[in-house]
Amino acid sequence: MDTWWLALTFRLGYNTSLVTLGTMLLGAGAGMIGTFILLRKRSLVSDAISHATLPGLALAFILVGLIQGDGRWLPALLAGAAGSAAFGLWAVQRISERTRLGEDAAIGAVLSTFFAFGVVLITVIQSMAVTGQAGLTGYLVGATAGMLASEAQLIALCALAVLLAILGLRREFLMVCFDADFARTQGVPTGRIDLAMLALLMVVVVIGLKVTGLILIVALTIIPPVTARFWSDRPLRMVALAAVLGTLAGYLGVTLSAVAEGLPTGPLIVLAAFALFFVSFLFSPRRGVLASLLAYQRFRRRVHLRQGLLAVARDEPIFDDLTLKVLRRRGYLRRDGVPTLPGRAAARDAEHEERLWALYRERYPEDALQQEHSGLTPIAHVLSPDAIMTLEAELLGDASAGSRA
Amino acid sequence: MTESQRISDEAMKSPLAIQGLTVSYGHRPVVHSVDFITPPGSLSAIVGPNGAGKSTLLKAVLGITRRLTGEVYIFGQPVEAMSRHVAYVPQRSSVDWDFPATVIDVVVMGLFRDLRWWQLTRRHHRQRALESLSRVGMEAFADRQIGQLSGGQQQRVFLARALTQQAALTILDEPFAGVDAATEKAIVEVLKQLKREGRTLLCVHHDLATVRDYFDHVLLLNVRRIAAGPVDEAFTARHLQATYGGRLSPMQLTRLMEPADPANQRSE
Repeated sequence: MDTWWLALTFRLGYNTSLVTLGTMLLGAGAGMIGTFILLRKRSLVSDAISHATLPGLALAFILVGLIQGDGRWLPALLAGAAGSAAFGLWAVQRISERTRLGEDAAIGAVLSTFFAFGVVLITVIQSMAVTGQAGLTGYLVGATAGMLASEAQLIALCALAVLLAILGLRREFLMVCFDADFARTQGVPTGRIDLAMLALLMVVVVIGLKVTGLILIVALTIIPPVTARFWSDRPLRMVALAAVLGTLAGYLGVTLSAVAEGLPTGPLIVLAAFALFFVSFLFSPRRGVLASLLAYQRFRRRVHLRQGLLAVARDEPIFDDLTLKVLRRRGYLRRDGVPTLPGRAAARDAEHEERLWALYRERYPEDALQQEHSGLTPIAHVLSPDAIMTLEAELLGDASAGSRA
Repeated sequence: MTESQRISDEAMKSPLAIQGLTVSYGHRPVVHSVDFITPPGSLSAIVGPNGAGKSTLLKAVLGITRRLTGEVYIFGQPVEAMSRHVAYVPQRSSVDWDFPATVIDVVVMGLFRDLRWWQLTRRHHRQRALESLSRVGMEAFADRQIGQLSGGQQQRVFLARALTQQAALTILDEPFAGVDAATEKAIVEVLKQLKREGRTLLCVHHDLATVRDYFDHVLLLNVRRIAAGPVDEAFTARHLQATYGGRLSPMQLTRLMEPADPANQRSE
């Protein structure tokens, strides 16, 4: 516990601090680019990218190993990974454009083929006369324990570059995610922006290889954005939140693994991200499980209130206990069941609302269908003022026509 | 200039001149060799049956869909150089309304060209977006989640986004599809107001009954151009018959040919 505290406060040595910082930057970058990828509905692409890195990684290891006897040289490994990831991405694009296969099928095919090829290469490496083979498994599940300072610096720098690029392109990304056709008319080169989005995602995945491992990096690009969606309904705020959540997950995961030497970094980071997700899933005020339970209860009471008020307006007796309780608590009903003055007024309002809604449903049945539980939300909350004016005018017209008849 | 010699004087002054436009998906032309000139300050409709290439024509003009052949000029200049003078209101169904954005977020997207990458969205940008929203009667909804809007309100938001651009030419794809009557009235009002300001508007429109009430020019399209011009000249029974290939009954046609009668409008 004490050592974890030291790690959390960046006092566990220069290397650990550097790795922690780099991972936090990586988490921020993954969260941000992941949000855009999620909004573009292409989250699975990151899975394809990460698996497609393996053959390039292994080939680079073999090449470097043949030259200098030890294959572990991070810049070359990352370059190799990026190369084969780009190739995999290109294959996915090609397959989904040129054939009748959908993008999901293309991703599945590319992902498994590349990964299989990578595993074969790794088996070959195990039998080669080079050192450092054991280090390769670190790229599968992540290992930050023995990381060199230069490696940590490289990761941190790349993550920082990705962050800045995303900040600069945030508006273009957003426009393309929401409405690519419209973005086109605004002079956004949508094709190139999509490409930039994928390229940034690729960089995040590749530099994340050493930290979380290639199987789990995808979690870092998906879980924080999904968690952020629980807390925000605004696009850029969601991006910022995902960055914060990704940073936090990286921070917790890396410091934990620094303390517990035997534990791999990747899984710990992902578990930390999941913990944040789970808390949000339960307690988010708008979309969480608890909030929807409460909202359900509130909605039930509102239905009872409306039914009770309508009964009061029509002078009908009320028998339901919950209805009576709701009306009494609001002061609309006396203990003996006689409506109070405010109760009468509220009943009149409720009846008027009900008539407006009924008229609306009659006039615009299609629109009414689109409204969620329409009729219970105040109509002024749903329709624009001029639309309500038209309805009110029609209601008045109906009433006078009725009295004339 | 060789460029200006190749196009007529009328096309030079027009906010939108289309010459020999062909668009095809695979080997099937969806729009074939269409010429069309929009007079300045007009409110024009593109009318035709389903699959006639109306939306495709718009998308080709806007550069969203690739043209196979043909030229598009905005005030005599190639459209690529003039795209900032063209505003676009896409079909409502073209986006996912569950997107995490509020009404104001969407409207501010219309200001994209005025915002550099280092700039934050400032109060005066917001103010401009709010002005556009109030023109379509939606200022009270600025902070509403877009997923909570009705169909008509979504359409109004899209129109507001186009308004922020203050473009000389506004292109609308089925702005009245699936909206409530109040919204239809409000949108027509805004369009007519824009026309009075001297702006030019071009709508894909599917309701033949309202063509005479809303528009002054019309392009009848069924892959090829059937007729184009002022509504009184081009919107005739013969041309409609040719456009819809006999899918309109004689009774429908006679009703459409009656001059617009204000007392008779929109009677249920």
